[in-house]
Amino acid sequence: MITLQHFMLVSAMLFCIGLFIIVSKKNAIQILIGIELMLNAAILNLVAFGRYDRINNGGQMFALFAIVLAAATTAVALAIILNVYRRYKTIDADKINRLKD
Amino acid sequence: MNPTTLHTDAQTVTLAIIAVVLPFAAFVVNFLVLGKSKASGWVSTLAILGSAVLSLNVFFKVWDNHTIHMQQVWFTIGATKVQIGILLNNLSVLTLVLVSLIALPVHIYSTAYMKDDAGFSRYFRYLSFFCFSMLALVVVDSLITFYAFWELVGFSSYLLIGFWYDRDSAVQANKKAFIMNRIGDIGLLTAIIILFTQFGTFDIDLLFGEHGLVAQSVISDGFWSSVPLHDYEKVASLPAIWHYIAFGGIFLAVAAKSAQFPLHTWLPDAMEGPTSVSALIHAATMVAAGVFLLGRVYPFFNGTELTTLAIVGCFTAFMAASIALTQNDLKRILAYSTISQLGYMVMAMGVGAYSSSLFHLVTHAFFKCLLFLVAGIVIHQIKHIKEDNNLDIDPQDITLMGGLRKKLPLTFITAVIAGLALVGLPLTSGYLSKDGILIQAFEWADSKNPLLNIIPVMALLTSWLTAFYVARLIFKVFFGELRLLKSFPSLQIHIGDGHWAYKLPLVLLALCCLFPLFSLNPISYETSWLYEPFAPKHWEGHYSIYTLVIPVLVSVVSLMVIYSAYVLYVKRVGPVISETGFLYRISFNEWYIDRFYKRIIVKFVIWLSGALYWVDRKVIDGFVHLLESIGLCIAKATAWCDKYIVDGVLWLAAQPVQYIGNFARRFQGGKVQYYLYSMLLAVIAVFILKLIWA
Repeated sequence: MITLQHFMLVSAMLFCIGLFIIVSKKNAIQILIGIELMLNAAILNLVAFGRYDRINNGGQMFALFAIVLAAATTAVALAIILNVYRRYKTIDADKINRLKD
Repeated sequence: MNPTTLHTDAQTVTLAIIAVVLPFAAFVVNFLVLGKSKASGWVSTLAILGSAVLSLNVFFKVWDNHTIHMQQVWFTIGATKVQIGILLNNLSVLTLVLVSLIALPVHIYSTAYMKDDAGFSRYFRYLSFFCFSMLALVVVDSLITFYAFWELVGFSSYLLIGFWYDRDSAVQANKKAFIMNRIGDIGLLTAIIILFTQFGTFDIDLLFGEHGLVAQSVISDGFWSSVPLHDYEKVASLPAIWHYIAFGGIFLAVAAKSAQFPLHTWLPDAMEGPTSVSALIHAATMVAAGVFLLGRVYPFFNGTELTTLAIVGCFTAFMAASIALTQNDLKRILAYSTISQLGYMVMAMGVGAYSSSLFHLVTHAFFKCLLFLVAGIVIHQIKHIKEDNNLDIDPQDITLMGGLRKKLPLTFITAVIAGLALVGLPLTSGYLSKDGILIQAFEWADSKNPLLNIIPVMALLTSWLTAFYVARLIFKVFFGELRLLKSFPSLQIHIGDGHWAYKLPLVLLALCCLFPLFSLNPISYETSWLYEPFAPKHWEGHYSIYTLVIPVLVSVVSLMVIYSAYVLYVKRVGPVISETGFLYRISFNEWYIDRFYKRIIVKFVIWLSGALYWVDRKVIDGFVHLLESIGLCIAKATAWCDKYIVDGVLWLAAQPVQYIGNFARRFQGGKVQYYLYSMLLAVIAVFILKLIWA
């Protein structure tokens, strides 16, 4: 039987993998993928904890919202990456350091 | 004054100015155009010839006629107008003609005398400059210009005394002359300032002329008051002491220029200059400037002051004559004789023999100049002997000379004429002037305190001393055998009077030493043309017993003295004068005056200047240094405060901010992932903290 603990374990693994990707990859798209993975880990948690609210299904609802929001942010992030590429002709996160200004 | 006389007056003044300026023109030409050319001698001589001719012209127009005084405003200070102008009266035209007439033969003589000197053109430059200063001094009408030329005369004398500036003794001598003259100059300046304070003008004619301001001022109740120059002014009145201070100033000036005691010691040393210079400046003309000054300001003196002058003059005359008795340096004897004769003149001024004093000034100028020129020739010839035979002797030492009358006949004759004039024997000019002074001195003493009788007696004694030293000089130089031959028997001697540039001046001056130039009557000074214009008005000529006795006494005793000198020095019989006697030593060492000055005054002055230097170094500089160190200390403390306290506070404020900033900046790398690391770290830190505090 799949218990809550398993979900949380998978979720934690997903989170860590996402975190690792974010920290280690240079490509902005990959970083974006890492972010998606971490987001999905959070959504998985929401769904898993949804069992304690069977009447209102709050967990599932939040998960849906989160998925929609994730799609929206991904779209925005991709647009940003596209603009960054247009401007700097690269999407290597190391080479774009104008954020400090 | 009608226009024609005004016109001729203007002409006369113009001539006088040209006469004065000609030597200056020669000076400028020599200085700028001729350089080291030998022509400078003739330029100067021609200039002085022109001056002499013009001076004579002016002299005949003004003498015993009327005073010519022309002036114009020089500058104005407040209400005081300072005038510059020319004042030609009997005194100034007489001196004008005297200076240029004496200067002319000296110039001619100098062209020969200085022929082989490297500084030939420089010599004539200085000489012309001196003539200009002296002539200008004589004719100017204001005390200011008088003072200026007085200084210039002193300065050119300084230049000429130190003419051979590579000789240490000449340098010392000209320094001495200059310093002593400065003392006199300060006196003159003081007197001028006091006179201006009292009378408000510098004009000599206004001050000292007939019925001038000085004549109208009176001393009463301890106050010296004068009539005002303008009607709107008040009567000026000063405490009487200022009158005496002014007199003291004038006296100092006279004493310095005319070498009177106590400022006489520069004159014998001034003989370091060329002999022709000594003849012109230090015997005939410049030293007469002091007596001339006395003549200019004569109305100023009151009875006490005149007596002082008489005493000092008489003392100087006696002292200098006594020193001249034993000196061995030819020029030094003549220098002391000059001092002595100047003493006579000053004494004559003091006893009221104004005209005799000026008369003696003129006659003395001629015969003393002649004596110096003779001395120049003698020294020159001895120097020739010295150089021909490579001897190491002093060419001025009369103990080495003798028998020169055969070698230098003309020099000998002129020397005898000049010597007789100096002694004051009849038929010479000196007789006329000197006996006049002596007679008037006796007459003056009659009406005074009996103690003052010592003055004419000493003057009489001095004239016998004069006879002795003149006789000694002439016998030692011209009679007997040349004493050099005793020590150096194999001498080569080729000497003679020299060529016409030596002979002509001697002859000219010798003629001027005889009586006809001054008076047709060789016995009576009162009939001299030179005497009358200066004599008091309503002078009717009285004949006291002195008029008869004094000339006889002077002449007879002088002749006896000369004979005794002849016996002593030519025949070499009679007692040998002890050279260790007290009187001899006093005379030989010049009364120890110079030594006294050196030991006491010079030492004191040097000590004083040393002390002042010490004060300057230690006290004044020390004070300044102290201020400096205090300032430095304060500045250092302030700098420390600024650096460590003010800057420190700011640093304390700035440093943490900078530190935090630097720390925070590390998180702001600009790269996306660094932000992520930071966030991660923060989250982990929160967790760790939570774990610790939980």
